[in-house]
Amino acid sequence: MSPLLLILIPLLSAVSVAFAPRGVAFRVATISTLVTLAVSLIIASDFGHWYDDGFGLVTELSWLPSIGASFDMHADAPAMWLVLLSTVLMPVCVIGSKTAIKERVREYYAWLLVLEAAMLGVFLAKNLLFFYVAFEFTLVPMYFLIAGWGGSNRASASIKFFLYTFTGSMLTLAGLAYVAWRFADASGGWSFDIPALTAFASVDLSATEQFWVMMAMLAGFAVKVPLFPVHTWLPLAHTEAPTAGSVVLAGVLLKLGTYGLFRFVLPMTPVGVVEAVPAIGALATIGVVYGALICWVQEDVKKLVAYSSVSHLGFCVLGLFALNPSGLQGSILYMINHGLSTGALFLLIGMVYERYHTRDMNRLGGLVANMPIWSAFMVFFVLSSLAVPGLNGFVSEFLCLIGAFSATPDNAQWPGLLGPWYAVFAGTGMILAAMYLLYLTGRLVWGPYRAPPADKNSGLPTDLSSREIGLLLPLALMCVWLGVQPSGLMRTLEPSVERTLAAYPELVPTQVESMAVLEEVNGG
Amino acid sequence: MIGSHLLSVLLAAGDTAHASDHGHHSAHFPVALPTEGLGYAGLVLALPLIAMILNGVYAISGVRSKLPAWTTVACLGTAFAVVLNLYLKADIEHPVVVPLFEWINLSWGTGAISAPFGLYLDSLTLLWMLFVTGLGTLIALYASEYMESDVGPAYCRFFGGVSIFLLAMGCLVMGDNLLTLYLGWEGVGFASYMLIGYHFTKPSAVAAAKKAFIVNRIGDLGLALGIYLTWLHFGTLEYSKLFEMLQADGAMAAAQQAMAGGWEVAIIPFLLMAGAFGKSAQLPFYIWLPDAMEGPTPVSALIHAATMVTAGVYLLVRTFPMLELHPAAAPTVAWVGGATALLAATIGMAQYDIKRVMAYSTVSQLGYMFMGVGVLSTFGAAAHVFTHAFFKAVLFLTCGAIMHGFAGQLDLRVLRGLRHVKGWRIVVWTMFYASLCLAGFPIISSGYWSKDVILAEAFANGRPILGGIGLLTAGLTAYYTFRVWFRVCCGPKPDDHDLAKMMGDDHHGDDHHDEGHGEEDHHHHMPHAPKWAVNLVLSVISLAAIGSILLVPEHGWLEHMVAKSSGAGGVGANHHDLPADAGFWADPHGWMKYVASTVGLLGMAVAAWLHLFNRSAADRLRATLLASPLKAVVRAMENKWYVDELYNALIRMPLKIKGHALHMLDRYVLDILVVDGLGRLPKMIGRTLSPLQNGVLQSYAASMAGGVILIALLILVLPMLLDLLGGAA
Amino acid sequence: MAEAVVPEVFGQLALGHYLILSAFLFAIGLAGFVTRRNMIVMFLCTELMFQAAVIALAAFGRFHLDLSGQVMVIFVLTIAAAEAALALGLVVLLFKRQPTLDAEVWSEMRDV
Repeated sequence: MSPLLLILIPLLSAVSVAFAPRGVAFRVATISTLVTLAVSLIIASDFGHWYDDGFGLVTELSWLPSIGASFDMHADAPAMWLVLLSTVLMPVCVIGSKTAIKERVREYYAWLLVLEAAMLGVFLAKNLLFFYVAFEFTLVPMYFLIAGWGGSNRASASIKFFLYTFTGSMLTLAGLAYVAWRFADASGGWSFDIPALTAFASVDLSATEQFWVMMAMLAGFAVKVPLFPVHTWLPLAHTEAPTAGSVVLAGVLLKLGTYGLFRFVLPMTPVGVVEAVPAIGALATIGVVYGALICWVQEDVKKLVAYSSVSHLGFCVLGLFALNPSGLQGSILYMINHGLSTGALFLLIGMVYERYHTRDMNRLGGLVANMPIWSAFMVFFVLSSLAVPGLNGFVSEFLCLIGAFSATPDNAQWPGLLGPWYAVFAGTGMILAAMYLLYLTGRLVWGPYRAPPADKNSGLPTDLSSREIGLLLPLALMCVWLGVQPSGLMRTLEPSVERTLAAYPELVPTQVESMAVLEEVNGG
Repeated sequence: MIGSHLLSVLLAAGDTAHASDHGHHSAHFPVALPTEGLGYAGLVLALPLIAMILNGVYAISGVRSKLPAWTTVACLGTAFAVVLNLYLKADIEHPVVVPLFEWINLSWGTGAISAPFGLYLDSLTLLWMLFVTGLGTLIALYASEYMESDVGPAYCRFFGGVSIFLLAMGCLVMGDNLLTLYLGWEGVGFASYMLIGYHFTKPSAVAAAKKAFIVNRIGDLGLALGIYLTWLHFGTLEYSKLFEMLQADGAMAAAQQAMAGGWEVAIIPFLLMAGAFGKSAQLPFYIWLPDAMEGPTPVSALIHAATMVTAGVYLLVRTFPMLELHPAAAPTVAWVGGATALLAATIGMAQYDIKRVMAYSTVSQLGYMFMGVGVLSTFGAAAHVFTHAFFKAVLFLTCGAIMHGFAGQLDLRVLRGLRHVKGWRIVVWTMFYASLCLAGFPIISSGYWSKDVILAEAFANGRPILGGIGLLTAGLTAYYTFRVWFRVCCGPKPDDHDLAKMMGDDHHGDDHHDEGHGEEDHHHHMPHAPKWAVNLVLSVISLAAIGSILLVPEHGWLEHMVAKSSGAGGVGANHHDLPADAGFWADPHGWMKYVASTVGLLGMAVAAWLHLFNRSAADRLRATLLASPLKAVVRAMENKWYVDELYNALIRMPLKIKGHALHMLDRYVLDILVVDGLGRLPKMIGRTLSPLQNGVLQSYAASMAGGVILIALLILVLPMLLDLLGGAA
Repeated sequence: MAEAVVPEVFGQLALGHYLILSAFLFAIGLAGFVTRRNMIVMFLCTELMFQAAVIALAAFGRFHLDLSGQVMVIFVLTIAAAEAALALGLVVLLFKRQPTLDAEVWSEMRDV
């Protein structure tokens, strides 16, 4: 089945939702996301490159051949997993919005579907321009979702979200355009084919060029991740976004940043990367601790979870820049796990918000007395977020940390530029995570019951409705599954990861030597 | 269609039978072989899992009977039977690995991280599992009665928590690699969190649960880092391979490994230790355990006295060969254990809440166990774990029965004369026997045998100061143990009026559900004696405690069990052949029996004087001490040496302040100043220049002309200027 | 044509003289345009600037012995004539709306 369907189905249904009668909008959107999910599962089951490093699903669709722009698509195993993550989360978002969104329903679901198309475009793009267009186009529906259905401060949140990430990705565009221009210069014709450009850039660009191209790409991707200190758009956007918006934002949109790092930064500019690894590692580590400490003093539940993303994604970036397979595999798994558990946490908070219209922990507490099922899910996903072994978070966090830990220059097989200290400092994030997440559960789930009167118009039962349970249960099962049987997934990531890292075992020692020389010169 | 590839990816069990290609038996202890036919060992984990799921189902379907309790007891009892069967069937001389399923298995090039989910069955595992599942079953039975007022969802939650605990403890003890141990390690932490916070409407219970989890996490970080380093250096986390490496070239292998690996290897035992100290409530992490008494008493007995807190001892005995990676590792363990034992005993002396006394005594006794490991006597440590599990469980369960009967009353200043009250006989006398064990009463108490081994080994190991601390602590222990027993069980016979006055203000320690209590309100004013389940469990565990005497003495069953395990290095390590004419004092094992007995009896005598024969003397003594210059010490002891306050001031508050400061920084400096500032920059530029747009045609013309002139000047003047500058340079 | 006879009277005038005249005319026009408010005077000033440019063009054309400068002059004059008709028409229209010739009245495009 053509991967084009994955983009066309949501796009076309977005159009039909926009013009359909108001009453059926929800149904059309639900069916469309479920169909997309089914299609993605079928495509995944036919995917022939789970166990090698090749790209499958290659589809060609021309756009502007004269400048090399096209809608070509392909995917390797990590991309396939992220596609699946997106297609799994989208029905959850749509169905989760059933009672929360009561006005301008058609626009709302149309934007959600457009968002899905754009996200899938990012993961499936084979052409750089297609990638970039899709990457930027995610901003538009998200902007409208926040601005149209957000909280009280939605205007400034949506503008900040848009401008901040847009500014970053303009620089990314500049960097990528430079690579394309150099390629055209060298080969005599324009092309935006990602594999070709990657192969070209990693070899033919000088060290200085690679460094600056990497910096330009980082500008966009780091904002998207978000890496400390360019994270400040995130808490605001999360707090103001409607629940489904937060779920997609945490679940998939942040992964566009880490996916960009994995797909472009690491393989395209290895010489630049080895120069920047210690600095990026330090920022990621600081982000872990910084985000966690801020979480601990929040009163707004949603803000707490938003800041926890800053902390969690720090682990993810640390794993990526460990430059060894365990770190990278852990990091990709982290993307999926964070999508599931943080997505679910936002969903859970949204469910409480629908009932009590507050997210202030001073006004909410002891909800287990009224909502035992909700509380059970809450505790479960908190554990998953805490990286308790046996659940999904553990495997990825463990691999990211062990990756960073073993990324020492004297590591024989996969020399790296981080080392134990990075892992130790990031590891304190484990303790801090326990502190803020148990603070959250301690106040929200346990303790004496306190809550403002429930909204009678919401039409929701006191505890979760079967629709809501039906949303959370699959996510919970996936969390258990990935915690108990991660090996199958991990094995599919391995070849692509090794391909991505191919250049590094030789580059890192050279970099270490040149650093040593530099130190000698400076010291002498 | 979906089936084919994706399912194979999701289900990729791959090569499940994890290879273990060694059959080498080393000098010290046998190395595990994979085996067939013991697959049913997985039931030990499956049964608690089933119980857990069933309890969840009961909770959802609104079961309002004792079904959860019976389910749990049945599952745990069967698990105990399975363990017993394994013990009888397995050849404990040769550890076996039972692979269950593949958990984490990654490989790339030559490296690999492999953590198959398998069971490592050796004598140490079986020893631990025997008392864990056995006590688990009995305490679940006890709890069926103890928790009966909560029948309903809370009852399901309680037994669900107990099942999770047994499942996690099973993973911890039976796992065949360090990652599975870590899985269980965090799992028991979670079970403990859920059960301490059982009375979730009580803020103190929620806080205690949180504290327990977080303090444990600090130790867990150490354990995690230790696991990373182990993997980095040894390339495997499986015990069988690790031990083979550490033992391959004889006893010196560990030292050689340490030399080869530098500080990163030498630090491994210290990191593992940090994990052990966290879980087993040793200095500096012990503060969570006393607070954990907020949980229901069966939980305190099972998790926070008998089983979970001994996980740290298990870890160190299990990884005993790794303790040799640094020469200072074992002494550190010994000193931390000794210091904790003494500190906790001094605090325990000054507490009035009998459950807290028992909590501090647990911390103190765990200190003994670590002292045992540290002076290279894994046998002593394991023996004390074993005996302590039984008698401390009895002590907690009796406290629980009292608390249950007297509506939450635990103050030893209020309770008295229980001996004379009808229906409390079994409680009083099982408590008496358990107190004898804790105090180390000669010959007939199990604690005497195990504690003596540790104390004697401390002297034999050449650590007389540590041994002295141990002896002093033994005396204090005997004192505070019998302080409780004399106060609570002896004294003048209380009449009905006195008994009513003794009642606490709390119904079964929890009163968050008040339905159906109205009619039996009159019961609240009189204590009610325990029923059959409590009495049965108390009797059985006490009998087990008595029975353990037969297993513990040197060269007995227990020593054999330890000697066949990874703790073999700590059996007879301090044994020196003495000349036949060596004096009485040459062999600590010889004289310790007498000295320790004397010290224990002395402590009991003091307790008897202050709390039995002369019940007001203790108060007078306290008043005298408070008037004397020792005032500060007494106050400090009563306030637990202000350790909680110290930690709060040194760690928690600074972190909290940092959190607030960073939040402010994030909000005002990073976001508002920098980001919004940059965002406002274009706007500000626009504002500054906007007066130019005044709509007057002439000013546009003027600015246009100005612009043209400026450009002309630039074109004309700039090259000249550059020339000048270039010329100058 | 290369050695065309240059009338004596012109030979004494160098290119520079024409350009200086053009610059003067342009400066007068610009100054007038910027300082005067009367729309008709402003319009006359723009015409003055046109003529300055025209003189420069004609002078350059003569200097380079090239006719294209003079062609441009004719174009400019034609367009200027057309423009004059248009502009004066506009002025009349504006005058009908508000009976003044002051240009500052028409400043609706200013920043608030």
